[in-house]
Amino acid sequence: MSRPEVPTVIFIGQPNGGKSTLFNSIAGPKAETSNFPGTSVKHTHSRVSIGGRLLDIIDLPGTYSLCSTDPAEQVVLTHLFAERPDLIVNIVDASTLSRGLELTLELIELGYPMVVALNMIDVAERKGIELDAAKTEALLGVPVVPTVAAHGRGVRELLDRVFDVVDKGQALKPLRFSGDVEDMVAEVERSIPPEFPRVSNTRFTAIKLIETAGHACGDFLGQVEPELGAAVDRARKTIEARRGTPAYEVVSAERHHQAMKLAEESSRFLHGRRMTWDMRVDAVLMHPFLGYVILAAVFAAFFFIIFEAGSPLEALLLGPLDKLKAALAARLGQGLLFHLAEGLIQGVGGGVAIVLPYFLPLLFLMSALEDIGYLARAGFLLDAFMHRIGLHGKSVSPFILGFGCNVPAIVATRTLESHRDRVLTSILIPFIPCSARTTIILALVAFYLGPLWAMGFYVMNLVIVALLGWIISRFLKEPSPGLILEIPSLKAPRLGSILRKTWLQIYSFVKFAWPLLIGGSLVLSLLSYFRADGWINGVLAPLVVKGLGLPHELGVTLVFGFLRKELSLIMMLQALGVDYQSLMTVISREQIVVFTVFISFFIPCLSTCAILWKEIGKKWAFVSTGLSIAVALVLSWLVRLVL
Amino acid sequence: MNLTNAPHGRPLRIVDLAGGENVRRRLMALGFHTGDVVELDGRAILRGPLLVRNCTSDTTVALGRGVAQKVHVEPVHEPS
Repeated sequence: MSRPEVPTVIFIGQPNGGKSTLFNSIAGPKAETSNFPGTSVKHTHSRVSIGGRLLDIIDLPGTYSLCSTDPAEQVVLTHLFAERPDLIVNIVDASTLSRGLELTLELIELGYPMVVALNMIDVAERKGIELDAAKTEALLGVPVVPTVAAHGRGVRELLDRVFDVVDKGQALKPLRFSGDVEDMVAEVERSIPPEFPRVSNTRFTAIKLIETAGHACGDFLGQVEPELGAAVDRARKTIEARRGTPAYEVVSAERHHQAMKLAEESSRFLHGRRMTWDMRVDAVLMHPFLGYVILAAVFAAFFFIIFEAGSPLEALLLGPLDKLKAALAARLGQGLLFHLAEGLIQGVGGGVAIVLPYFLPLLFLMSALEDIGYLARAGFLLDAFMHRIGLHGKSVSPFILGFGCNVPAIVATRTLESHRDRVLTSILIPFIPCSARTTIILALVAFYLGPLWAMGFYVMNLVIVALLGWIISRFLKEPSPGLILEIPSLKAPRLGSILRKTWLQIYSFVKFAWPLLIGGSLVLSLLSYFRADGWINGVLAPLVVKGLGLPHELGVTLVFGFLRKELSLIMMLQALGVDYQSLMTVISREQIVVFTVFISFFIPCLSTCAILWKEIGKKWAFVSTGLSIAVALVLSWLVRLVL
Repeated sequence: MNLTNAPHGRPLRIVDLAGGENVRRRLMALGFHTGDVVELDGRAILRGPLLVRNCTSDTTVALGRGVAQKVHVEPVHEPS
C-alpha cells in the first residue's frame, strides 16, 4: 500500500459523544473552520505534527447514521464518500455503547481504514458498565482504544494506532446480515453495472441502494438507471414481503441487533441500575414544577449577567472611539475624508462596541449551557409552549441566540431537521430584539419612560413573536414533524471547550457581519456628505409625518435603521440636532414609543436580510422583509391609537 | 397502547413504530427499534414531550406527543 504524503484523517461519530473534544485536544488552537463548498455546513480542520509526522485532521458534524434524510448531514456524507479519507477515527460514546456501535458497523461496511475511540469510559464506569476494549476490538476487527477525551486520557495510544493503520493498512471484514438479507444484497451487487459510481465498495453501495433507493447518500450516486432501479426495487420488495416491514427498517434492525450483541459481549455490568448523581439532578431539572422554576431562574440570571457584563464593556469600548472621532473632526474638518473616516469608525465601533459587549457574554453562557447539556433540557421543558406557535423544543436555542444577534441565530437553525421548521424559525428570529435593538429600547424607552415601559416593550415583543408564529404556521400546510431530541447525559462544564465554541461563533459572526456593518456605515457617511439626507427625508415624509406622526427629519434614520439598527439612535439625535439629554424638548413621549416600535420592527437589518437570503432563499427573505414592514406599520398605528 | 398512555417507570417493549418514513428513520437512527425495551422517565406539563429512556443503549430522548403516539408499546413482565 502506498503511503500518502500527508494522510487525511476524518473524525466521525454520533452527536454528544465527545467527538469535538477529542478533535480539539489533538488539533490544538490552530484549527480552522470552513464551509463545505457551496453550502453553509461547517467542518473544522487542522494540520498537526505528531512526533514529527504530519496529519490532516477533519472534524465532521455529528451524525447518527450513514443514511440521513437531513440535508446538512447529507452534505457531510457526500464529502465523506467523495473524498475518501486515508483513515476514519470513529468516536463511540462508551456510556451508550450499543447505539454508537450501529454507526461503527456502518462505517466498517463502508470499508475505509478505521480506528475506534471508545470515549467517555469514565461515564460508563460511573453507570456501572465495565468495558473490555480488547474484546470489542476482537469482535469488530478494528483497533479499539479506550479514551477520556475531556482529560486527554488514551489520546496518545489512539494516535499510535492511527499511524499504525496508516502505515500497515487494514483489511476490514464487515459482519454479515441474516441470510435472506445478504442474498438480496448480493443480487443488487450483481445488478450494479461496472460504470456505476461505487461508494467505497460494491457491497456498501448495494446496501445503501436497498436502504435508501440511493436518495439518502447525499447526491453522490446521482441518477440510478432504470434497470438497476428495477433490481433494487425487486430486492426491497422481496425483503419487505418476507419480513413484513420496509427494507430500510430491516437493514437498520439487523445492525441494531448486531450492535446490541456486540455491546453485550464486550461489557460487564458491575451492579444493577442505581440512581447516580446525574439521574437525581435530572429528575429535578426536568421536574414538571421545579424544572420551570429553575429554567426561569437560569434565564433571568442569563440576561442579568449579559447586561451586567455588557454595559460597562460597551462604555469602555465606545469612549475611546468617540474620542477618536472628535480628534479626527478637529484634524480633518468637514471634508469627504472626515466623512469616510467617520463612517469607518462608526462601522467598526458598532461591531466592536455595541454588538460584541452583549454578544460575547451571551455566546459564552450559551456555550456553557450547551456544554453541560442544559439546552437540550430547556428544549424539553419549552416544547409545549413552542408547539403553540407551530414549532418545537429544538427551536429554543436559535431563539435565545437571536437576543444577541439575529445573524448567527438564523445560522443555528441548521440543527432543525425539517425545512418547514427552519423556515418558520428563521422568519420569526428577526422579530426577536437583538442586542442592537435592545440598546435602542434601553436608551429611548427605559431612559425616558422608565424601566417598566422597557420591560413591557420586551414582553410585547415576545407576544408578537408568538402571535406571528401561530399565524404563519396556519399557512404552512406541512405539519411540524414533532420533537425528537436526544437528551445527552449531564457533563461538568469545561472552560476550554466553552471558550473554543464561543471563539468559533464570534469569529464567524465577525467574518460575516463586520464587512456589511462597515460598508453600510461608509454608504451612510457618503449620503450625508452629499446631502442626500434632505432628499430621502422628502421621499419618506408621507410615511414618517403622515403615517407615524414623527418629525420629518427622522426619515433618514429609517435608512440607517436598515443598514444598522443601533445607528438610527445616534442618527436620530443628529437629525433632530439635539443631544441625548434634551431629546424630550423636541419630541414627545408618544413619538419616542412610536419611533422605537417602528425602528425595532420595520425591517430586518442588512446583515440579517443577507443571511436569510443565503440560508432559506430569496423568496423567504422577501416574505420576512414584507412581514416586518407590515407588522411595524400595524403596531405603530396601534401604539398611536392607544397612547 | 402507545407511549402517551403507557405507565411510568415500567419496562415497555416497542411493538411497532408507526408514522411516516422520516419519523421512523429518525427514531431508528437514535436507536429505537421494534422489540427494544424502553421506559418512560418523565413528562413535561401542558401535553409537552415525554422522556423516553432506551434500556439497552441507555440513551434518553425527548419525544413530542405526536411522535410518541406513533410508538406502540406493551408492558414487559419482569422475570421474577
